[in-house]
Amino acid sequence: MSATPRNLLPLLVLPAVAVNLFTFLWPMLNLAGLSFREGLPGGGIGAAFSLATWGDLLADEFYLEILLRSVGMALGITGLALLASYPIAFFVHRADARWRNLLVVACISPLLISAVVRTYGWLVILGDAGFLPVILRGLGFAPPRLVFNMTGVVIGLVEILMPYMILSLLAGFGRLNQTLEEAAASLGAPPLVVFWRIVLPLTLPGILLGCLLVFVLTVSSFITPKLLGGGRVLLLATEIYDQAIVTLNWPLAAALSLIALGVFGAALLVYGRISRAAERSIA
Amino acid sequence: MTQAAPGTAPHLLLDRLEKRFGTTLAVQALSLSVGRGELLGLLGPSGCGKTTTLRMIGGLMPASGGRIVVAGRDVTALPPHRRDMGIVFQNYALFPHMTVAQNLSFGLEMRKVPAAERAARVQKALEMVRLGAFAARRPRELSGGQQQRVALARALVIEPSILLLDEPLSNLDANLREEMRNEIRDIQQRLGITAVFVTHDQAEALAICDRIAVMRGGVLEQLGTPYEIYERPASEFVAGFVGRANRMAAVREASGAVQLGPLRLQGSGEAAPGPVTVMIRPHRIALCDAVPEGEGWNGATGRVARSTFIGDLLSLEVEIGGASLLVEQHTFAGRAMPRPGEAATLRWRAEDTLVFPRSAAA
Ligand SMILES: Nc1ncnc2c1ncn2[C@@H]1O[C@H](COP(=O)(O)OP(=O)(O)OP(=O)(O)O)[C@@H](O)[C@H]1O
Ligand SMILES: [Mg+2]
Repeated sequence: MSATPRNLLPLLVLPAVAVNLFTFLWPMLNLAGLSFREGLPGGGIGAAFSLATWGDLLADEFYLEILLRSVGMALGITGLALLASYPIAFFVHRADARWRNLLVVACISPLLISAVVRTYGWLVILGDAGFLPVILRGLGFAPPRLVFNMTGVVIGLVEILMPYMILSLLAGFGRLNQTLEEAAASLGAPPLVVFWRIVLPLTLPGILLGCLLVFVLTVSSFITPKLLGGGRVLLLATEIYDQAIVTLNWPLAAALSLIALGVFGAALLVYGRISRAAERSIA
Repeated sequence: MTQAAPGTAPHLLLDRLEKRFGTTLAVQALSLSVGRGELLGLLGPSGCGKTTTLRMIGGLMPASGGRIVVAGRDVTALPPHRRDMGIVFQNYALFPHMTVAQNLSFGLEMRKVPAAERAARVQKALEMVRLGAFAARRPRELSGGQQQRVALARALVIEPSILLLDEPLSNLDANLREEMRNEIRDIQQRLGITAVFVTHDQAEALAICDRIAVMRGGVLEQLGTPYEIYERPASEFVAGFVGRANRMAAVREASGAVQLGPLRLQGSGEAAPGPVTVMIRPHRIALCDAVPEGEGWNGATGRVARSTFIGDLLSLEVEIGGASLLVEQHTFAGRAMPRPGEAATLRWRAEDTLVFPRSAAA
């Protein structure tokens, strides 16, 4: 490091900053500007500054509904992904070093396959003629509909986003030290108490990171909700897609995008709050 | 089965304890008992099974065979949280997300001690290890020695039936180590608690333990008081591991005398006639004016090969008939310093001439 004078270091991040300015901030500003125009029928955009788009949006309860549905669903999926991933990540973390790398690869290998393909996979499994309902019917059950509704979207997204959760959890498990658990046990703590009082607090950073990631990815996902929701599960991201690509109301799509951005900002804020509080107590 | 230390009731009993890892036997047929209020040292070289033994006692590792009995009750199958043992780990294992007080309080909460009593006991335990003012600190805000004392207080505050310590001092520097070992000993005696202390440092074991179990390759090599271990080592291995010794190959004759090169020595020890190993501790050899005559003494003349002055010690290497003897003498002002090349006359007692059957290893 001594070869790099301290005042040259900022230069190193300059390219990244420039790229970010160009590919993120600039489009965002454009988007913000766009939302203050009026969308004309047939895909035209009014030239003048207008509050019409925001006015319509705020007046229409439909948009509040999809906002709440998106956030609610994202929270639920985050929770389910956490519940499903935690034991897996714990097992992988505890596995013999020989197997651990292999297991990590196995956990994240689904990422190598496009989410579209995996979503179609779920259609095959959950669809009315899919093998899960067929088996359930064969066993004499009357399974509920598993696709083209919220259930299908939740199942698909949880599975598709689990690798991110597992990776984040594994990164956070570095703090875990089996001796701490042994110490707690020797002090009289049964296994569940050891988990609750020692393991969980120490793995909180990984949990928070994974939750943030999965929450944000859920709110911005639209392929899986579209395919597994069959157009019947209306969410923020699918609506942005529809407005931009189908209806060609770009100002409305821009305004909805800004709302999504607001959701991400709020998520980051909550994440920062909680992890700072956790950090203070763990560090 | 071995007996407890004289005059004390057996509190912890290991009965043919065994631990297998795959095909390796980490601990073999280990039987010993620890008296109530006794501090037993588990001493041995790295990998001899000390930690494994301690972990089995604490329930952190299942035994492959044998029994662990505490106060007459078989605890072999009990999980650690029901064994009521306080463990001090080598790396302290303090909970990083809790304050010092919360660390201590944890074990009391598990025992459902009411909050008011908890606070009082925590404070008392902290004062015992002279950390009364540190209750609100986090472990990472403490020095190594302070963390070590917190770990000790945390294990003691629950008033465990047995205290287990796994090399608790190995992360401390030499001065602090000595101070802490005495502190541990003081507290252990004051509370009259039964304790097992794992160490690979023989000086540490000799200094504070009531009895020492010397282990080697998973086997109990000798069990005895520090005096017995040091003065009457049961094997060449123990003699070499505990304290330092000159080690020489010799032959024992039917008469009991030992022929070491041209020297004929009187030795102690039961070794049968044949090839033997003779061990003499360097500081038990004295410089003198004439080779002593008569019962009880051995002597030799030789040539000084090396002479080193180390302040309180004078360390000499003396060549005697092919063998080279390390000799250590306390220094005092005015003592002559033998120079290399000079002749030296040595003497040592017959009982300091330890004779063991020659073993292949060690
Ligand atoms: N989990 C394990 N799996 C396989 N072998 C093990 C395991 N733990 C210990 N061993 C082996 O058992 C033997 C005893 O190990 P142990 O840790 O008890 O030694 P120790 O006397 O505590 O040594 P040290 O002074 O280095 O701590 C060693 O040969 C070690 O390699
Ligand atoms: Mg060890």
